[in-house]
Amino acid sequence: MNQSRWRALLRKPETSSFLILCLAIAFFALANDRFLSPLNLSNLLAFLPELGIIALGMTLLLTAGEFDLSVGAVFAFCPVISLLLMQHAGMDLGLALIIGFALTAAIGLANGLFVTKIGISSFLVTLAMLLLVRGSTLFATQGFPLASFSGDTFLRTLLAGSFYVGQVRLHASIIWFVVLAALAYYVLNYSKLGNWISAIGSNRNAAIARGVPADAVKIALFMVTSLLAALAGTISALRIASASPVAGDQYELEVIAMVVVGGTALTGGRGTIIGTIIGVFLLRIIRNGIVLVGVPGLAFNIFVGGLILVMLVVHSLLHKRSART
Amino acid sequence: MTREVLRLENVAKSFGNVQALRDVSLTVNAGEVLALLGDNGAGKSTLIKAISGLHGIDHGRMLMDGREVAIKTPRDAMDLGIETIHQDSSLAVDLSIARNLFLGREPVKASFLGPLAPLDLSQIMHQASELLRRVGIRKNLDADAPIRALSGGERQSIAISRAMHFFAKIIILDEPTNNLGVEETHGVLRFIKEVRDAGHSVIYITHNIHHVFQVADRIVIMRQGSVVADLAAGETDILQVESIITGADLSEIEMEARTM
Repeated sequence: MNQSRWRALLRKPETSSFLILCLAIAFFALANDRFLSPLNLSNLLAFLPELGIIALGMTLLLTAGEFDLSVGAVFAFCPVISLLLMQHAGMDLGLALIIGFALTAAIGLANGLFVTKIGISSFLVTLAMLLLVRGSTLFATQGFPLASFSGDTFLRTLLAGSFYVGQVRLHASIIWFVVLAALAYYVLNYSKLGNWISAIGSNRNAAIARGVPADAVKIALFMVTSLLAALAGTISALRIASASPVAGDQYELEVIAMVVVGGTALTGGRGTIIGTIIGVFLLRIIRNGIVLVGVPGLAFNIFVGGLILVMLVVHSLLHKRSART
Repeated sequence: MTREVLRLENVAKSFGNVQALRDVSLTVNAGEVLALLGDNGAGKSTLIKAISGLHGIDHGRMLMDGREVAIKTPRDAMDLGIETIHQDSSLAVDLSIARNLFLGREPVKASFLGPLAPLDLSQIMHQASELLRRVGIRKNLDADAPIRALSGGERQSIAISRAMHFFAKIIILDEPTNNLGVEETHGVLRFIKEVRDAGHSVIYITHNIHHVFQVADRIVIMRQGSVVADLAAGETDILQVESIITGADLSEIEMEARTM
């Protein structure tokens, strides 16, 4: 009885990702004592939640059987538009952000409508949206980063304030990440909506035949994913006090890699928020650690690529085995 | 005395230039297995989709227990007590048995939260275990196991028991024995008889005429979007049914001529 419970735990995709994460941490900690230094941890944790927040939305979307390549572009779009509105229309930060987020929601809505109502694959729709949004952002700024946000200190503290735990400097983004991850975990595993999301990704026709509003759920998830990317981009821009039109370049691929490395199926139906959190840490820690152990910066993608392949093989083997029993 | 559960009157449906259903009238009685036969493209699937709310109809009326109803969405059909089991696609294979049983009708706590309301997981597990025991699926199935881990026959049994659980008046089975082994097929056929004996009506769509004669009370045959024959199973045989499906039967051609 106890043994079978252990075996079930071992078969979970999250477990293998978690073991590899522990191995990676142990390896880097032994290889370079600066890895666990407060400065390095501060750097790691400043950046990690911003990708993590996007990964949460992407996990839900992938579980429903779709994905979104436009998140990196939206990451830059929302803060750039908000800042332009502040600079040229004299709006304050709050109002400018409301408009920025509303436009972002419209991008997600457009993605969702094209995918569900016209029936184009999400790969093509969001690839086009990536180019449209990135292009608009570049054109609007003429390619130059915009100078610092000013005003409204409360909002700024809420989104990008920082504090110390021991000697490690943390940002508000880590709190956002924790809260949103808890929410996403609840939604996917314990709510009615989560049941629908998994069912739609697993067998859309069956879900529709049971009266699940599949299109509405997908459209909502596209909007949530865009909004989370915009939130992450805004937090990032406030943290570094600059909005760059090229921020978030290729984040879409890194985020999708984080999600699938964590054990969520690219084909839909099976999603895990815990796995995604592990995947976010795993990819960021490997990027960080590989540089610290002295691998040349230009070579580190080799390791990241290799690791992603290994994890996917592990998940696929585990999945096959669970289907056979 | 037979009691009518579902009646279709002059139902028509076309897709662009294709007239998929023309002037279809049909009744389903309480506690009977009605076999719906016809070649590919005869209109069986279109008819089933209309009854189960996957697409609307252009003309005609549908009556449930003598009352006219409009079935526009799968939810409408389910609420009226029409449960459809589509060929190998009515379950989400990544979800557990328990979650599949309640998909679309999840018991929740704090229902004011709408779709975000928490599932009543203990209720779901409890009812699912109860159901698995009651329908007597032989192997010891864990309600928490994913559908992926089940055989084809077990999956169909789960889908059918789900329909029974929600007190469906009519259970529509769209080729339920496709892709099943011999043993499993017999299991499903036996299950269909049990469903009828429990008082549900069954519309059974299949290509296999031999199966029809094992379970059906009445046989309705469609060709080119029309109902061309409505026979009591005890008063006909395989040869006659086969000839009507393929259109080789003379008396049936006469019947068609009369209705023109």
